[in-house]
Amino acid sequence: MQNANGNRPQPGPKPPRLTALIQPYRGLVTLLIVLALFSNGLNLVLPRIIAYGIDAYGRGETVFKPVITWFALTALCIFIFTYLQNIVQTYASERVARDLRTRLAAKVSQQTYAGIQSANPSRLLTNFTSDIDTVKLFVSQAIVSIASSLIIITGAAVLLFSINWELALAVLAIIPLIGATFFIVLRKMRVWFMKIREVIDWLNKVITESILGAALIRVLNAQGLEYDKFLAANTDAKNIGLTMIRLYALMIPVITFIANMAMVTILAMGGHYVIAGKLTLGNLAAFNSYLAILIFPVILIGVMSNVIAQASAAYQRVQEMLSLPDPEDSGTVQETLRGDIALQNIGLQYEGRPVLKDISFTVKAGSRTAIIGPTAAGKTQLLYLLANLAKPDSGHITYDGRDIRSYHPDALHRQVGLVFQDSILFNMSLRENIAFNDAVTDDALQRAIHTAALKDFIDTLPQGLDTIVSERGTSLSGGQKQRIMLARALAINPTVLLLDDFTARVDNSTEQQILQNLAQHYPHLTLLSVTQKISSIEQYDKIILLMEGEIIAAGTHAELLQTCPEYVQIYQSQRSTSAYELQSE
Amino acid sequence: MNYNLNNQPAQKTSTFAALRKLFRFLAAERKTLIIAFATIMVSSGLNLTGPVLTGYTIDHFIQQKQYNHLLLACGLLLLIYIVAFIANYLQAKLMGSIGQRMLFRLRNAVFGKLQELPVAFFNQNKAGDLISRINSDTEKVNQFFSQYLMQFVSNLFIMTGAGIFLVSIHPRLGAATLVPAAVLLIFTRLISPWVRRRNADNMKSTGGLSAEVQESLNNFKVIIAFNRRDYFRKRFDEVNKKNYATAVSAGLANNVFMPVFGFCAQLAQLTVLTYGIYLVTTGNFTIGLLISYLAYVHSFYTPIRQLSVLWANFQVALAGWDRISEILSLESDLPQLPTTNGTNGTTSVMEFRNVQFRYPNGKPVLHDVNFNMERGRTYALVGPTGGGKTTTASLVARLYDPTEGQVLLEGRDIRTYDAAERSRKIGFILQEPFLFTGTVRDNILYGNAEYADYTNEQLTEVIREAGLETLLARFEQGLDTKVVTTGDAVSLGQKQLIAFMRAVLRRPSLLILDEATANIDTITEQLLERILQQLPAHTTRVIIAHRLNTIENADEIYFVNAGEVTRAGSLDHAVNMLLHERRES
Repeated sequence: MQNANGNRPQPGPKPPRLTALIQPYRGLVTLLIVLALFSNGLNLVLPRIIAYGIDAYGRGETVFKPVITWFALTALCIFIFTYLQNIVQTYASERVARDLRTRLAAKVSQQTYAGIQSANPSRLLTNFTSDIDTVKLFVSQAIVSIASSLIIITGAAVLLFSINWELALAVLAIIPLIGATFFIVLRKMRVWFMKIREVIDWLNKVITESILGAALIRVLNAQGLEYDKFLAANTDAKNIGLTMIRLYALMIPVITFIANMAMVTILAMGGHYVIAGKLTLGNLAAFNSYLAILIFPVILIGVMSNVIAQASAAYQRVQEMLSLPDPEDSGTVQETLRGDIALQNIGLQYEGRPVLKDISFTVKAGSRTAIIGPTAAGKTQLLYLLANLAKPDSGHITYDGRDIRSYHPDALHRQVGLVFQDSILFNMSLRENIAFNDAVTDDALQRAIHTAALKDFIDTLPQGLDTIVSERGTSLSGGQKQRIMLARALAINPTVLLLDDFTARVDNSTEQQILQNLAQHYPHLTLLSVTQKISSIEQYDKIILLMEGEIIAAGTHAELLQTCPEYVQIYQSQRSTSAYELQSE
Repeated sequence: MNYNLNNQPAQKTSTFAALRKLFRFLAAERKTLIIAFATIMVSSGLNLTGPVLTGYTIDHFIQQKQYNHLLLACGLLLLIYIVAFIANYLQAKLMGSIGQRMLFRLRNAVFGKLQELPVAFFNQNKAGDLISRINSDTEKVNQFFSQYLMQFVSNLFIMTGAGIFLVSIHPRLGAATLVPAAVLLIFTRLISPWVRRRNADNMKSTGGLSAEVQESLNNFKVIIAFNRRDYFRKRFDEVNKKNYATAVSAGLANNVFMPVFGFCAQLAQLTVLTYGIYLVTTGNFTIGLLISYLAYVHSFYTPIRQLSVLWANFQVALAGWDRISEILSLESDLPQLPTTNGTNGTTSVMEFRNVQFRYPNGKPVLHDVNFNMERGRTYALVGPTGGGKTTTASLVARLYDPTEGQVLLEGRDIRTYDAAERSRKIGFILQEPFLFTGTVRDNILYGNAEYADYTNEQLTEVIREAGLETLLARFEQGLDTKVVTTGDAVSLGQKQLIAFMRAVLRRPSLLILDEATANIDTITEQLLERILQQLPAHTTRVIIAHRLNTIENADEIYFVNAGEVTRAGSLDHAVNMLLHERRES
């Protein structure tokens, strides 16, 4: 038995097989089929018991009691087997779904940030939900139906042959006909199955954006616009649905018709044989009733092949995600960082356009460096590179003289804290949002809260640290969210702290207080801060001016004022109010 | 108002009340439904005629060796099957189409309702849960209607007919036969609410799973940067396990019907057998009648057995419908009030009168706020984070209504304006900029019908006139630059530039900037400042900012702290308050 969780190398782009999916559940599936056979088989026994009872009565025997006992016992057995079959069916299908979700989650969690972005989060959501639900239907409905149908068909076919092989051949000719119908219709449907799933992704996207942008939509009174967007996607979904219905509506009637034609053939041919004396009337009647038995499973297989086709389309989408390559081998160095950072000729492109060009600079352990520059200069991307969220297209980044790639990613993330520019809070308690990594000790948590000047705020909350933050952090002000983001990065007790425009939403005096706290509680921190505000970085060891992905100048505040006109211009733009800010120190 | 969907007071809706509401979505389909019912009558009638005719042919024509008649009968059968084929096809197509169109309407209704609801609704619910309701729950309702409704109705039809037949042949035996059916009826009534609840629980946990995936995938960079891949897996595992547990329990509940229904059907047969034989021995019945009676019992209980499967699906659909109607039954708590005695003669553009505000289940955010804002002036709101600045701005834009007091727009209660007029007058650049997936042009013109038909050249001209062309130049491909909602292809500063352009092009009479330039460099900010100065003379500007240089040109400064808004007089005074006031944040 193959291991479901193992990373088997997949040679070439082989279409995914649902049978491979249920391989690990062979035991359960076999049990399921056996139970289904028992309960269906026993159902055939009941008429025999009734017939026996009636015949016995006709012969004048009194078999009342045994007949009732046998009947009741059989009915009870059927009840038990049916119920067991249903239980096993439920467990099997839910387990397949659960395990598939777990595998998908494991795969997703190994992806890089860029990997998730290109895989498209709204498609992944469909993968996790409706795609896997469709696969689940395959297990809960199709397996049993198909297995029992096949057995009934085989049994009936054997009986037909035993009566008259010529007639049997004529009857069984319908099977390839029906097979061909399935094949043609389902092949046409398959395209639409994939399309409808893409439209569902689209619907998801419209819904998601209308939810995330709810405030903006209301400010602009653009609800009608959103409705139109949704209507477009939904109309598409409806039209595809109607196309599929037209195809599907044809399939079952065609199959029923073919089966009915077999009936007519038997009647004509068989009748001819009987009239010619080649066949007994009883056998013709038997033939007829076996054919009736044969038809229902054939139709059932038709219905189920629709389920199978949908499930395999869904599984293919899930499989595409599951077969994404694992990220390249990461480094293994676990050493504690001192905090020396060096960038050599770093280049980064985004969709063919350069974001960073030939960036080189060094940062000494324990020093403070600021990166300043206009919007879209590539500052955030630079921090992402340093935090190992993205990889440069050219050049090297080293920590303590070792290439960033030689470090184990976990080791790096443990020691490099990044305060994101946008506030990202999770729907859980403040404590969990700050101590986001469970290696955080209570001491570290308290120190981080104190440093981020959150203590007073948290003390005013009735539930303190256990207050639940809503999904988009809407119950908090912008500045509070940003300070929570800072506390989260400090709580891991980082050696290197990367701040992305941290001061944007924090008022001056709070900022001053936080900076003082930082110096006091995290004295050995290597600080790299992207900012707009010169007054708070005048004392820094190095200021780097970044514009359109290039370093324009680097040096101390005093040096840059002497040598760099662009820096002077920025300085001047802030000068008018710097008097007030000086006051606040 | 409580908008939390997972925390609504449980409303007990009867099956019939739920159905009545649901059938509203079928109202437009009455004609099609009638035709579909007609086709199902025709097709089931014809499909029953086939075997009867076959039996007759065997008994009469074949036995009497009338080959010509046999061929004639075969021809007739062929004709019947062709008509049945057409009826089958029409029935499947009509019902499937009705289902698709109903799904379409249902989704539109839910999405339309979503657009009517205020921001508060979105703050209290998770995006993933809402998506799950709109997509997968509506699909559950659709499945029942497109696949099972017809079978459901036709089975009910056949069953009732067979029931009447049974009783009319032999009232006492018929009554005895129907006892197990009565037991089933009671059983179904008793157990259905439980089954529906199990399904509702399952859908709730599916919504939770969807919310978890949505939250994690959209914030994946934090998960990577803080080494929380394991945490993602753990949290996912938790919801996945929970979903598995509720799915199994719902599956087991749904599967209770089939074995019980089957068992009761067999009990009925047993009853007929024993009671029938008793009747025969007492001379009240013949053995021949008993045999055919058993066949009728079979035709009564076969549809019942099918109903058991349909009934479970019906419960699933109802549970889905309950979740959808939870959304549909919500009303916006921001209704438009009838216009009262015009304006009160004031010249103020915006006035707060004794305004108090608290978020649902939160502590008061604003206490008794009073202020006036005059036409054409610039106001600044300053104060520590969490002091109530954004809340004040949100009340101005009527994202919420005050809990006490009045907000007046141009002397009239803001609640008497219709949404279109209000949003034309008030521009609000939100603290967290949001972009829709599309181009820069799409986003700048979002909700702005005025320029929707402009060519890029014409629009560029408009942008130049508004002095925005240097901002547009920050985007590599100008108006056609592609942007996406998620991801970091566009920097926060760039998003703020787009939001700024969008708001300025709408030419509102009152423009609120809520830290709208916080992530923009100070040189660009000066440019924005100049653009603001060039706005038409009657434009009132409200600026919320931390950076003092952004507010130095304000005509008036309000200091917002601890839920109170005080006039600060001069910038010096404001700075002084910022430094020395007691802060509650």
